[in-house]
Parts: sequence; C-alpha cells; structure tokens
Amino acid sequence: MTTNHTNHRTNSSGPPLIQCRRLTKTYKKGDNTITPLQELDLDVPTGDFLALMGPSGSGKTTLLNLIAGIDRPSGGNLIIGGTDISTLSRSKLADWRSVNVGYVFQLYNLVPVLTAYENVELPLLLHSMSAKDRHEKVQTAMQLVGIADRHDHYPRQLSGGQEQRVAIARAIVTDPTIIVGDEPTGDLDQESAQAIMDLMVQLCEDLGKTLIIVTHDAKSAAYAKRTLHLEKGRLIEAAVLAARRAPLVPQEA
Amino acid sequence: MIAPKFMPVVFKQLWRHRVRSVLTLSGVAIAMFLFIAVQTLQEGVRRSTQAAAGDTTLVVYRENRFCPAASRLPQFYVDRIEKIPGVVSAVPVKIVVNNCRASLDVVTFRGVPRENLGGPNGWASKWQLISGSVAEWEKRSDSALVGETLAARRGFQVGQSFDASGITVTVAGIIRSPEAQDQNVAYVHLDFLQQAAGKGGGLGSVTQFTVRVDDPAKMEAVAEAIDAEFRAEADPTMTSPEKAFVAQAGADIVEIVKFTQWLGWGCLAAVLALVANAIVLSVQDRIKEHAVLQTLGFRSSLIARLIVSEGMLIGVLGGAIGTGIALSVVHFGNFSLSQEGLSIGVSASWSVLVWGLIISAGVGIVAGLVPAWRAGRREIASCFRAV
Ligand SMILES: Nc1ncnc2c1ncn2[C@@H]1O[C@H](COP(=O)(O)OP(=O)(O)O)[C@@H](O)[C@H]1O
Ligand SMILES: [Mg+2]
Repeated sequence: MTTNHTNHRTNSSGPPLIQCRRLTKTYKKGDNTITPLQELDLDVPTGDFLALMGPSGSGKTTLLNLIAGIDRPSGGNLIIGGTDISTLSRSKLADWRSVNVGYVFQLYNLVPVLTAYENVELPLLLHSMSAKDRHEKVQTAMQLVGIADRHDHYPRQLSGGQEQRVAIARAIVTDPTIIVGDEPTGDLDQESAQAIMDLMVQLCEDLGKTLIIVTHDAKSAAYAKRTLHLEKGRLIEAAVLAARRAPLVPQEA
Repeated sequence: MIAPKFMPVVFKQLWRHRVRSVLTLSGVAIAMFLFIAVQTLQEGVRRSTQAAAGDTTLVVYRENRFCPAASRLPQFYVDRIEKIPGVVSAVPVKIVVNNCRASLDVVTFRGVPRENLGGPNGWASKWQLISGSVAEWEKRSDSALVGETLAARRGFQVGQSFDASGITVTVAGIIRSPEAQDQNVAYVHLDFLQQAAGKGGGLGSVTQFTVRVDDPAKMEAVAEAIDAEFRAEADPTMTSPEKAFVAQAGADIVEIVKFTQWLGWGCLAAVLALVANAIVLSVQDRIKEHAVLQTLGFRSSLIARLIVSEGMLIGVLGGAIGTGIALSVVHFGNFSLSQEGLSIGVSASWSVLVWGLIISAGVGIVAGLVPAWRAGRREIASCFRAV
C-alpha cells in the first residue's frame, strides 16, 4: 500500500490537480459487461508528466478520454482543479474542455479544409477576443512548436511530424492546464518522435503544463517524469512488473 | 445564427466538396426557378381575379356566352344602361382576339368609341403615355393605343403598323395602366373594329359594355338592375363585377394556375430533399471531424448551427440564382396568359424575390436541422473508435 502511494501520488502542497477515485467505466454489450476501467485511484499533481503504458485494450485511451472530459465515467469521482467534471452538463463540459484541456491525437486529426494557421486558430474562436489577439496567440503557439513558416499550408501538404506540431500548437493555443496525448508519436518515425517528445518535455518544464500521454514505446515513455502501467483496467504496481520481468522468480500458482 | 468569425469555416466546408455543392446548388436553383415562376403566375391570377374593396367596374356580357366572338349585344343598349340609377358611365366595347384559346401570345383588340377614350373623363386619363399621344389616336381611325406589355412582347413602336386577325392598325401610343387587362390589349376605334371584324356582327354590334358604378357597395344591385332591364329582349345580358368576370371567363387558366400551386410545393419539397441529402452526406463524412471540434470545446449546439448554416447557405445561394433567373425571364419576356381576350399578367415583383430568398433560406435551414441535431448528439469518444 505504501508503494502504491509513493507511486501514484506525488507529495506537493495543496490537493493534486487531477484526482481519480474508484473511477470506473463499463459498457454493456448484450448480456456482457465490459469494464475497461475498474475502480481506479490516481492523483496527478500540477506540472506532472505522466506516461501511461499497457497492453492493447487495457483501458489507457478510456482513462485519457475521461480525464480529457470527452467521455463520462460510469462510477467513481473525477475531480480536476476542484471541479467534479462527471457532474457537468454536456455543454458545461464542452466549455470546461475549451479552457482546461488540450488533446493531441495519434493521427493528428487536423481539419483538412483549414490551413495550419486556421487549425490552430479554431479553439480560439470559442473565446471572446479580438482578431488581433487571436492572431498573436496563434503566432506564439506556432513559433513555439517550430512551424511558424507553415501558416498557409494545408494538412496534406505537411509531413506527419509537422502535422503533429500543428496539432500540439492547437492543443496549447488556449493555454490549458492539462495536455493529453493518445500515442502522439505512434505514427511517426524515430526522429520525428524524438522531436515531438522533446517538445512535450519543453511544454512541461518551460510552460508548467501537466502532461499525460499514452504510449507503447519505452523510448517515448522515458521522457516522462513517471510511468504508470495499466492492465485490464487497473494500475499495476511497479514491483509486480519488476517481479514478472525477473526470469528467476518462479510464478505463484 | 453563428458569429461571423465562423463563416470561413462554413464556406470552406462547402468548398471542400465543390462538385457536390455545385450540383446541389444547381438543383436548388432550378427548383426555385420553377417555384418562383409558379408564384408569379399565382400573383397574376390574384391580381386579375381577386376583388378589391374599391372596385366599381361591371362587365355586361351576352348571357351564357364567354367568348368574345360569341357575345354579341346591340350597341343601343348603352343608352338604357346609362339611365339605370347608380351607373356613372357605360361604354360599348367590341373585342376581337386573334386567338380565342389559352395562350401566352394573344393580341386583343378593344374597340371603344372615340369620346369614351379621349377627353378629360375618358379612359385614357387614367393611363400614362409611355410614347405617342391620345390626340394622334383620335385623329386616325385605324390607329391603336397599345398596352405596355403587349408592345414590349411584340416590339411595337409608335408609327409602326401591325396586323392581327386580318386587322391592320397603326400604333399611335403605348400606354401604362394600373389595370392588368389594359396592359395587354390594343385600344382601337369602335366603328373601325366593327367594320374591320366583318363577320363579328358589323356596325351596331358590340361584345360587352363596361359600366362604372358610383359606389362600390351598389355593384350587385346595379348588376341585377341591368340584367332585369334586358331579360325580355332577344339578347339578354349577364352582368358581373369585372374581376369576377375575369375569374369566370378565364376559368380554365385560373384552374390551371391554381393547380400549379402544387407544382410550387413540389419544387420546395425537392429543394428540401436535395439540401438534406447534401448535408447528410457531408455530415457522415465528417463524424470524426465534428468529434475533434467537440474535443476542442465546441458545444453540440454550435456544431449544429454550423451545419445548419451550410444548409442555409446552399439554400440562399441556389435560391438567389433560381429566383434571379425566374424574375429576369418573367420581366424581359413580358408574358401574359390570355384566354377569351382576357389576360392574366405574369409579373415579377420585389416581394416575390424577397419571399423566394426567405423561403429558400428557410428550407435550407430545415433541411439541415435533423442531421445537425444528430451530429451534435454523438458520443465523442466512440466517434474516434469507429473509423
Ligand atoms: N464504446 C465502447 N463499447 C464497448 N467497448 C469499448 C468501447 N470503448 C472501449 N471499449 C473497450 O474497452 C477496452 C479498453 O479500450 P481502450 O481504452 O481503447 O484500450 P487501450 O487504449 O488501452 O488500447 C477495450 O476492451 C475496448 O474494446
Ligand atoms: Mg488506445
């Protein structure tokens, strides 16, 4: 139990930014009930950089989507920045997302008819500000991710790495506290993946963002401050994992 | 409906599927063209047949006759009609038509005595002379004052002679009249027309009397008194208010035009189906994209409004094109539906244009409602899973 605590909660003043308590997600399929997430407890402090790993189907995306507010828990509590987001109405939750979360997808998910600039500008359209302020914010975000020279390019005219940079610019342009990424380097070559992970570290360290990414790749996970493993909807203790990996320790029946 | 800053996004979505958008737009334009064409006909019928409160004109026709060729009344009835209380004036009119059937291009001659048309209280005093003069008409027995619509359709100019039904006249002036009927006829001298028409009964025979009553409230009473006066004669009469007469004599056209109302509704239904189809297709293509927008914080209602705006834009653009074409065809074509020498003007008005735009925008909005509502309701996370 103690390892659990040191692993999942980081000591810092004040309550953690994200608090998951007995967080559960279930799907009903006919008579079967699928439980991608089972009574999960997790604290994430502000400024953390967390990598989620685990086999396919272990619930990583489900957890990420719940934290990003694009899915709703079936049970438990999910308190982020003092707000229990599972109680928010659909439109209040949308407003909450537009202020608090930036989401980076594996396949970038840029709007193909819009230029890089317009894609980054999209989330700002939801906030009341002058066109000039919007322009400045888009400019800053695009410079930060290193694609300021690609304003007028359409997504199809960009490489995967460049598209992901645009997507990151879109995720940070509203200055959210939390940035989540679902296998953000999963579709990139080694070099681009490293560059994107460097950028993620920079967002965490320079801008103080709280990052949670899902990854299959140990190299990418190594950039994070800590790594958590999911299996069948539960967090696996590091000790258990280590024990499993050690070939000489016999498995208990 | 949406803030202007979102308009580029809407435009770009339509532009993405240019071919589909253009095809939809063309379909909407054609359907709205037909709808507006039908509406102008409807309006023409309304204007020609719907009684107005201030109407004071009666038409005296030969009983049970509806075609000008068949209605023959002795011209001397005019003195007896004028003696009936409530009658301000009675004008004997001879009507000759080059085509008695329903047609879009009919030349109607109306023969009227010289003194009834000219002078301070003559019919011409209500008209605006676009060119030529009434004095010129009075001077020459074979001259004609031609209604604006007829003149424009046939390209008549002052001084030009033209022939219809074997009757040759010279244009002395072109007139503009508030009465739909005047716009589409050629006014000639009564005695000239009686002689020229030959087999139509000759001198002393007229088609109808146009009677003016001193009080709109007395229309019915005066009409009854006129018919009573001639009931025992060899040529009994049937008197009715002018607009009711148009509605009755032109009943075939009126019926057809009223039926076209259904075509109009059909056109709107076609617009609805076209736009709805385009929106449904484009929304299905973009399930994931809408999930992305929701992830960014777009509310369901905003996404729905963006989609509805696309429908409205297609509706308005297609409607503007179709309505514009319909109105210019109607305006420059100077069509007039005629039957039995009575005409129903097909006229373009600003109100039809404005209504066309409002209706096409409205239909576009309605077409987008259901797909828009459904797009906004989707569960975001499952949109990303289903690819
Ligand atoms: N909408 C859904 N309906 C039914 N089952 C679902 C749904 N979404 C996810 N699941 C199931 O939940 C489990 C966890 O999925 P996911 O979180 O995507 O796993 P991971 O991202 O770790 O690969 C899987 O078994 C998946 O099939
Ligand atoms: Mg996943």
